[in-house]
Amino acid sequence: MSHIHFPDGVLPIWLWGSGFIVAILVGLILFRFAKREEWIRHLPLLGMMSAAMILGASVEIVPIAYHINLTVISGILLGPSLIFLATFVVNVILALFGHGGITVIGLNTLTLSIEGVLGYFLFRILWRLTRRLMPAIFLATFLALLCSTLSMIGVVSLGASHYEELIHHEDEKGIFEFKLLKDKVGHPVEGATREKVNLKRFMAIVLPLGLIGWILEGMITSLIGRYIHRMRPDLLRLERGTQ
Amino acid sequence: MIQLSYLDYSAVEGKSFLHGLSPKVKLVGMGLVLLAIVTVRSLPGLLLLYVILLGLFLISRISGRIFPLTLYPLIFAMLFIFVSGFQIGFILRIFLKVLCGSTGVVLLLATTPYPSIFRILGKVLPSFFVTALFLTYRSVFILLDVVEETQHALHLRGGLQWRHPWRSLVNISNAFGHLIIKGIDASEKMYESMVLRGFKDRIHYRGE
Repeated sequence: MSHIHFPDGVLPIWLWGSGFIVAILVGLILFRFAKREEWIRHLPLLGMMSAAMILGASVEIVPIAYHINLTVISGILLGPSLIFLATFVVNVILALFGHGGITVIGLNTLTLSIEGVLGYFLFRILWRLTRRLMPAIFLATFLALLCSTLSMIGVVSLGASHYEELIHHEDEKGIFEFKLLKDKVGHPVEGATREKVNLKRFMAIVLPLGLIGWILEGMITSLIGRYIHRMRPDLLRLERGTQ
Repeated sequence: MIQLSYLDYSAVEGKSFLHGLSPKVKLVGMGLVLLAIVTVRSLPGLLLLYVILLGLFLISRISGRIFPLTLYPLIFAMLFIFVSGFQIGFILRIFLKVLCGSTGVVLLLATTPYPSIFRILGKVLPSFFVTALFLTYRSVFILLDVVEETQHALHLRGGLQWRHPWRSLVNISNAFGHLIIKGIDASEKMYESMVLRGFKDRIHYRGE
């Protein structure tokens, strides 16, 4: 839910192209400043956590079109820079199984990594403040999912003019489209067609369904956190304190 | 996710015309399919592309068990209907784009072993990233084995029951927790064995 399950060809080229550029730039910056040996040491762990995220994504709660992401727990375990690479890898492999388009990999990486990175930092802050593991993980997951869903809606709304073109394609002639940039502002037909794209309706569907998903994933993530804390507390790298 | 094993089996054991094609050619073909998905707007054009991909699916003699994978993304495409205000032409166009994309990638993966795909990707992408992709793909199969074991344990602890939602939630969370811990243990062993075999920062494929 919190990332875009759009197929290829729905979002405008300028949008998914920018997504790729920003994602690659962020990846390069992280790679430039990270300790190379540390990253290589953690490659198998990164692979395992990415695989767990992929398996989580295959558990589909069909009535609400939601699947568990496990991004926040992966973020907590991997740290902020490795979770970015992990989300990139997860999106490439999911796209290879037809789960989300190949062209939206960049945008999906950005929205999913917001979830992982934010989840990591929120958990650390909440843990320091409350020293209660389950509420800290639940709140961190809930807020991170809320933010990433809002960013996904933001991305969807950026492509509104492109959807209008697709909707009103019947009125036009031609088989192909070659538009790299958005239409010029002030196009005479634009005002008349904009009403057809209903983003409010989209939000009215996505946000309530998302709310159920965020609560569900928050509970599952906090229970997973509790299980890991019991079995391998070292993995959470917590300072000493009560649960 | 269980179809993954079939996908892998089909890629390695399949003997069709598409299986025999060079992975490079198939990747270029997939690129062309993507280009068509992004640029073609007309319904007949998209329908033709989908029919061609379905034809290739049939002549490749890929197991029918894999086919539902190509339909899976439609669940999410449903949400997009609400953006359009139920415009039938738009919905059909979106659904065809979804089906073309998913059929194309499933066709690629069901006819090409993943090391061959990653070997080609390694020539254009950073080796670090390709190694991460390879290890993730490998780890999916390791975790699938763990999932199989965990399913029995989950069943013995009551499994998933709608009448007991909290217990079900605890059970499924513990199963995921178990999966993660087992996965991390396996990753530590994997790293040690990779280092013993001379791993530095990239995986070398046969023939390199």
